[in-house]
Amino acid sequence: VTIANDLLLFFDQENVSLLVLPDLSGKWKNKERVLVFSSRGINFRTRHLMQDLKTMMPHSKADTKMDRKDKLFVVNEVCEIKNCNKCIFFEAKKNMDLYMWVSNVPHGPSAKFLVQNVHTLAELKMTGNCLKGSRPLLSFDPKFDKEPHYALLKELFTQTFSTPQYHPKSQPFVDHVLTFTIADKRIWFRNYQIIEEDASLVEIGPRFVLNLIKIFQGSFGGPTLYENPHFQSPNMCRRLMRMEKAARQKERQMVKEIRLEKRKEVKEVLTEDVTDDVFVTPAEEKPKEVEHEAPRPSKSKKKKKLKLTELKKRTLLKRKGLR
Amino acid sequence: MADVEMETQMGLDSEEDYGELSDAELQEAFSKGLLKPGLNVPLEEPKKAVNNIEGLKMCLAEFKKNLPWVERLDLTNHPAVDVLAKIEGTLNKKQSSGEIDAEDDFQREMYFYRQAQATVLEALPKLKKLQIPTKRPDDYFAEMAKTDQHMQKVRKKLMQKQMAIEKSEKAKKLREQRKFGKKVQVEVLQKRQKAKKAMMTAVKKYQKGMTDKLDFLEGDQEGKKGSTASKSQMSKKGPNAKRKYKDQKFGFGGKKKGSKWNTKESFNDVSGFRAKTAHGKGGKKFNKGGKKNKRPGKETRRKMKARK
Repeated sequence: VTIANDLLLFFDQENVSLLVLPDLSGKWKNKERVLVFSSRGINFRTRHLMQDLKTMMPHSKADTKMDRKDKLFVVNEVCEIKNCNKCIFFEAKKNMDLYMWVSNVPHGPSAKFLVQNVHTLAELKMTGNCLKGSRPLLSFDPKFDKEPHYALLKELFTQTFSTPQYHPKSQPFVDHVLTFTIADKRIWFRNYQIIEEDASLVEIGPRFVLNLIKIFQGSFGGPTLYENPHFQSPNMCRRLMRMEKAARQKERQMVKEIRLEKRKEVKEVLTEDVTDDVFVTPAEEKPKEVEHEAPRPSKSKKKKKLKLTELKKRTLLKRKGLR
Repeated sequence: MADVEMETQMGLDSEEDYGELSDAELQEAFSKGLLKPGLNVPLEEPKKAVNNIEGLKMCLAEFKKNLPWVERLDLTNHPAVDVLAKIEGTLNKKQSSGEIDAEDDFQREMYFYRQAQATVLEALPKLKKLQIPTKRPDDYFAEMAKTDQHMQKVRKKLMQKQMAIEKSEKAKKLREQRKFGKKVQVEVLQKRQKAKKAMMTAVKKYQKGMTDKLDFLEGDQEGKKGSTASKSQMSKKGPNAKRKYKDQKFGFGGKKKGSKWNTKESFNDVSGFRAKTAHGKGGKKFNKGGKKNKRPGKETRRKMKARK
């Protein structure tokens, strides 16, 4: 057993030294760097999501939280300092709503999304695993090609999420695939691990849903190129729900009031018809009977016990345990 | 003047909305024919969502980086054909046109899965051509996105789930078995009762002399022997012959005392003649044919009973 252990160690050492060497057989030309950071007030789920994105994308950089008081275009400066040309910025409002900005930093377009249904890598239901920093395959829904705003988003996503070839932190294998699909007017993001060559997949995570709000021509500002007509801000959603509830309560109240009113209102007195009591004949007066004895108690129909035979009586008593 | 009066009356209602317009201006507009008599309510134009298609296209053209596919590794495709649904014949027309029902979780996830599958199937040959490896060799140990510890947890959870399912299956089976066992027990008891009844009636019949076959005695061993031929043989010889003899001797009470024997009829009756025995050749048959009616022991009988 000791010999086997030694061999294993030797084997490991050899491979450990081999492993971290990235594939530098070519030059890294496509210089994409993504800055992933957030504003203050994010909750644990968002923090984990950011971490997961950083794990997935070896060409990403992190930065400290941005103060809310600074205007958005300060982000551009931060990116410049870090020498990044793409940015993913998470903004949390009211501890409930999460907004995500994806932007091409110096001049390019940017898009704002509302993020929903976030599931992180740490969920135990997602059983897949992939190399850290391996290059992903990107899969897009054909609907992305049909509308110009979706086409722009597709280009933005491709440039942001695809790992450049020969990046120093990337692994040379392609073992997972990111999918972007459009359903219910939202963009659904999934990450799958490729297990076999016959395309059997397992989900790795993270997963989220993006609801497009606006696309701007500039980075974090500039003229609006596209506004999503189907987007309803979360505040509006909550407001509508509250209004619905209020309306229901009001209706109930109104119904109550109407009922009370109806009871209180003066009821119509119908005009008396003189000929009503023509056929009314009073009955003959009976002689008043005075009862001196109390009346017999009527046999209650509930306890109608038939006459029991001796045998039945005995068995009854036996069952009751009295014999 | 009449016009002015009407105007002021009408103006009262819409005064708040048309705050910027003074009475004089309203009068002018009315005289021009822009305003009509009646209550004028300002209609708000529905907010138009900005969709600057030209701008979008221009922006895209500027922004696009024409990189070789190797750098991007992106593909746009329809999901792979759902083999299972096709087989079952439940292929939804909607799905084939690309509309996904976002509320139906399973369908939706399967759609995403199939989309990813289609991409993989298309991309792998391309990658092979470009000589980019997709399979990690077994000896390549590298840092994974999820730590080994985490994967252990995942495995544990899966095992737990599996065990829970197995347990519930076992419990179900046990319950079924118990129900079934009860059924079997009831059946066995009923069978025994029936057999007993049949036996009693057969014995009574025999006692009353209605049948002279002693078949009911062999009822226990019928299953074991399984052959009716030997049974008929046994019924011919066996206790029947003995019984016959005893009947002859003692049956119908004391009739043998004063009767004649060696009469003409009894002399001529050669039914009791066995040629082989007379000539001494039925040697093998001396032992009554071996185990003919050997009654099995207590244990074996108990086991047979239980097995039924």
